[in-house]
Amino acid sequence: MNIVFCVMLLSGVVYAATTGNLSAAQDALLSGAGEAVSLCLSLAGAYAFFGGLLAVLRESGAADALSRCLRPLLSRLLPFAPGEEKAMGDICINLSCNMLGMGSAATPAGLAAMKTMAAAGGNTGVASDAMILFFVLNSACPEILPTTMIALRAQHGAVNPADIVLPVLLSTGISAMAGIALCRLLVRGGEECA
Amino acid sequence: MTALLLPSLVTAVILYGLCRRVNVYEAFVRGAREGLLTLCAIAPYLAAILTATALLRACRAMDALIVLLQPVFSALGLPAEVAGVVLLRPLSGSAALAAVGDVLRACGPDSRAGFLACVISGAGETVFFTASLYLGAAGVRRSRHALGAALAAYACGVLAAGILCR
Repeated sequence: MNIVFCVMLLSGVVYAATTGNLSAAQDALLSGAGEAVSLCLSLAGAYAFFGGLLAVLRESGAADALSRCLRPLLSRLLPFAPGEEKAMGDICINLSCNMLGMGSAATPAGLAAMKTMAAAGGNTGVASDAMILFFVLNSACPEILPTTMIALRAQHGAVNPADIVLPVLLSTGISAMAGIALCRLLVRGGEECA
Repeated sequence: MTALLLPSLVTAVILYGLCRRVNVYEAFVRGAREGLLTLCAIAPYLAAILTATALLRACRAMDALIVLLQPVFSALGLPAEVAGVVLLRPLSGSAALAAVGDVLRACGPDSRAGFLACVISGAGETVFFTASLYLGAAGVRRSRHALGAALAAYACGVLAAGILCR
């Protein structure tokens, strides 16, 4: 992330300087962080609400029951290090909410799972194999109904706005499988990058 | 359908909690606190990534990159119009949405380019944003191959969409 961040900033500034667009760059630099703060404020309610709901699920044992059902599948999929399987309940909730397109419910569970896994590894600041694969699954997660896109297509007068459902499902499926395969190849001991 | 989902979910969770003799109120408050603390913890990461994204968009470096890469897209069998959508999707959800809107207006929603733009945008995810959230929440400083694998998976999804939508 360090390299990505520096490259983005430096190339932006250099490009703005060469094209004489420095005032736009200045505005963007000053407003970007403010955008983050207002985004956080708009997310705060959802995080508090879904965080609360998740805690009820966790403390009533429903998350454990769910993770027991999906344990065989998940432990084969994610290369858990000892202790990391404690995050399985949150992982189940995160992945199922993602597929249902409830991003605001999925993220708090996903972040809780990441924290649990990081704590299991002793908070070393190094991403474990399971943490990486879980993140990759989150950035390539099949969504059963891509509602935003269907609405946008309908708004532009598509003959059949929902006809993208199957291609979306197939291409995220392929994308997720590619991600899983890559992570399998790059398990601990493999090359480091970015 | 979706309007029914959340209320019924809440009802089910509360009833299950009551059956299991959980203090639902206390548990909810604990969880809400945890959610808000997580949000505070990731806010600085978001400030960093959104600043970088805003800069790249405002100085039109993204537009230049898109024009530059359009021939590559044609070579890969993807319509040049979707280059913007493909490149913006991992960076910013709202920018990608605007790009899809442009393609739909220019080519129509039932053209190959319009269809593909929707599929790619629906299948993709804001990878950099997700990375700063997930890696930030876990306090990860060395992310190893996380970002590379996520972007490669995205590229595979885009190419697959190109082949699927002939």
